[in-house]
Amino acid sequence: MGQLVVSKQAARSGRDLSNEVTQYLTFSVADERLAMSITAVKEIIETPQVTRVPMTPDYIRGVINLRGNVVPVVDLGARLGRGALTLTKRSCIVLVEVQVGEDDRHVLGMLVDEVKNILDIPPEDVKPPPEFGSEIRTDFIEAMGRVEDIFVIILSVDHVLSVQELAALRHFTGDHVADVEH
Amino acid sequence: MNLDSARQAFIEEVAELLQTMEDALLTLEQNPADPESLNDVFRAMHTIKGTGGVFGYTPVVDFTHTVETLMDQVRSGQMTLTKPLIETLFECRDHTSALIDFIAADATGDAPLSPDLQRAGDALLARLGHEPPPTPTAVPVLNFDAPTYLPEANDLWMISLEFKADAFRHGMDPLSFLRYLSSLGDLVHVVTLLPIASIDSEHFDPESCYLSFGIAFRSDADKRTIAGVFEFADEDCEIRILEPDSAHNRYIDLLEATPHDQINCMGDLLVSIGAITPFELARALKIQEETGQLLDGSEPAAKRRLGEILVEQGSIKSGVVEQAVKTQETARGKRQEDNRIIRVDAQRLGHLIDLVGELVTSSAAIRVMVKRAGIDNMNEVVDGVDYLVSEIRDNALQLRMVAIGESLSRFRRVVRDASQELGKLIDLVITGGETELDKTVVEKIIDPLTHLIRNAVDHGIEEPMVRQKAGKLTTGTIHLNAYHDSGHIVIEIEDDGAGLDAARIRAKAEAKGLIKPEEVLTREETLRLIFAPGLSTKEQATSLSGRGVGMDVVRRNIEALRGTVELDSTLGVGTKITIILPLTLAIIEGFLVGAGRDQYVIPLSQVAECVEMNATATLKQHGEHYINLRGEVLPFIRLTDLFHNADWHRATNQRESLVVVRFGHHKMGLVVDTLLGELQTVIKPLGKLFERLRGVAGATILGTGDIALILDVAELAAIGQTPHQVTVKH
Repeated sequence: MGQLVVSKQAARSGRDLSNEVTQYLTFSVADERLAMSITAVKEIIETPQVTRVPMTPDYIRGVINLRGNVVPVVDLGARLGRGALTLTKRSCIVLVEVQVGEDDRHVLGMLVDEVKNILDIPPEDVKPPPEFGSEIRTDFIEAMGRVEDIFVIILSVDHVLSVQELAALRHFTGDHVADVEH
Repeated sequence: MNLDSARQAFIEEVAELLQTMEDALLTLEQNPADPESLNDVFRAMHTIKGTGGVFGYTPVVDFTHTVETLMDQVRSGQMTLTKPLIETLFECRDHTSALIDFIAADATGDAPLSPDLQRAGDALLARLGHEPPPTPTAVPVLNFDAPTYLPEANDLWMISLEFKADAFRHGMDPLSFLRYLSSLGDLVHVVTLLPIASIDSEHFDPESCYLSFGIAFRSDADKRTIAGVFEFADEDCEIRILEPDSAHNRYIDLLEATPHDQINCMGDLLVSIGAITPFELARALKIQEETGQLLDGSEPAAKRRLGEILVEQGSIKSGVVEQAVKTQETARGKRQEDNRIIRVDAQRLGHLIDLVGELVTSSAAIRVMVKRAGIDNMNEVVDGVDYLVSEIRDNALQLRMVAIGESLSRFRRVVRDASQELGKLIDLVITGGETELDKTVVEKIIDPLTHLIRNAVDHGIEEPMVRQKAGKLTTGTIHLNAYHDSGHIVIEIEDDGAGLDAARIRAKAEAKGLIKPEEVLTREETLRLIFAPGLSTKEQATSLSGRGVGMDVVRRNIEALRGTVELDSTLGVGTKITIILPLTLAIIEGFLVGAGRDQYVIPLSQVAECVEMNATATLKQHGEHYINLRGEVLPFIRLTDLFHNADWHRATNQRESLVVVRFGHHKMGLVVDTLLGELQTVIKPLGKLFERLRGVAGATILGTGDIALILDVAELAAIGQTPHQVTVKH
């Protein structure tokens, strides 16, 4: 279902002439409308069975079986400090590809409440993020996009889903074990 | 073949030869009379001299020539190998390597040697009892006015070289071949042919080679050796070597004497007695194939006989072929099929194993489907498929298994060099070299092993004087042992050195703030502190080890292979490090259990037994969990507690099960809700995100399409015991 939305939207706005990135995927997390650049999005799937991984922070929702590959899923609600999301019929996983280190790319899933649509936001409507006043960590915000006089937060996927940061957190039980015990 | 690629080939070939030489020298250290090793050293030097000569690398030729001559004397029994001599030979090997490095770094190839290298070489040669060679071998004078025929004689080799037009452009110097040939024997006569008539001045290209040579050559060398001179010219020169009549007779004798079970096809037979070279054979086979294709459509019998072609090509005389045919015919029928080895690209093998992994998953899915659909009469078929799949899996994995011995033997040089640098006497004993494990595991274990062995040399074994005072043999021993144990490979590194001082380790760890002074640790836990980052007990860092990085890296590398490392040491007696690794990284036998909502896989090789959990046998003190298992105290972990995923389940008071697992020499229990049975588990890595997650070794996809996590038992034990710092081991 989700995939259909993307392709239709992409087809309609495919006549985009400027070579700047002006297409954004919008979705909602904890009743807030957010956007991200479409270029990082690989596909959008309905939420399958998610297997919990023990001893991980709550923003790691678990792992899913994506056509025989094990793909980690990040709960975007928990990641943005809005608390873990409750699964509904509209819940989706946005699969994105993020950079890890020099030339290694990693596929991660991003659990969101609902995928809305794809928007064309012209460059002149993309404004720098406010220095304060947002509940979301400032480095998670890439820019603000103006859509019909409302500002939508455009997330910086590389920061929100920074593998280094997600993996390095002390919540991982056993990390301190290694330091103390051995 | 341009000059650069030829040089590259030369450099690579030398590296291989020097490795062979090193291995041989190590053997000779133990057994100075081993003929095979003596030959290896000789051959290495000889071949390097030969190819070096072709390129005109005079320093290499001069140096290796001296070593070769010496080895020849040793081989023939005129000299015996002494320890110092072997030592010198090791240095000669390293010097040759340095010479080649010098050549590799020098683009033109004819820069003079650096004075240091020259001096080092001369010093080595002096130790071999040779004066530094005065001047390069003189080139035989070539007479262009000589008659264009060669003298016939019984004991002369007739060699014809027709260089192709591109020979110069490919960096070939015909003269260098002659110069090198002259080192094998006498150039009795050389006729240089220049087809003046066919070249008109207008089309004469100064960069093309128009030369050909006819050579009458007297030598005791065999055909292969002589052909070896021209090895590098294969592509740029038509080479024909005709043996003297005396050799011709010798071949016939050899053919008669060849045991029948060693006879293959005609070509191989002739190569094996040295009558033709492999290159000549390849050329003749090509001609045979081409003519065969021309006659395509007609009967296969029209294909020309190999012998005929060889005679026509001037590679051999017809008498030899006749005898070979005779020998071949008598042998035919008696011959047995040899065991053949096929070399396969590792990538193809990897792909096959991946596919087998998918097959295993799919066949599990079929089983689930059949069960769900309730088709009872399919069970037998499914069982059959399951059995076949597991056979295929085992066989596929077997393909990638290699004996570990080859990789272990490199440590002989490591130990030898390291011990000499430190002035220690050390024997390295290797046992269990035939033990097999996955090639990918072998590659990844070499680095940690190297580190552990250097540690043993550096920190473990004491200086001879110290050993004597302690009442030990002056020569220390490092024992490297490998064996299989319940689906794992165990590698032990044991030394009889100083051992680890637990008190000092503790002091150091406290000083570095790794542990608090009031913490109580068992001896074993204290010893394990050396695996903590930034702890090295040796006060002085040496060039070998001891910069405080290392043991933690070793441990991490081993754990990355889903292995464990254990340590036992007695002060003054020695240290034993045991590494336990899975045999393969791809597929394991697993045991599926359910805990809470989730399913987990425990490696079956680590499962000792399953018992029903009896609530009354459980003691609870300060959150510790023990069970009395047939009189033994067995610590256990409740998976749902550890993973905090106790859900609705617990309320139903469902009976739990205890899976007794072993890791290394320890045992522990895992309390789970349900036992779901054995399954073949294809290990899928969890990826970078979970790199630092402990207790979970990976994931696998079940037949239902769900994911189950694979537990790392040893890490779970570590996590289970940490909060209390209480030993649960033993």
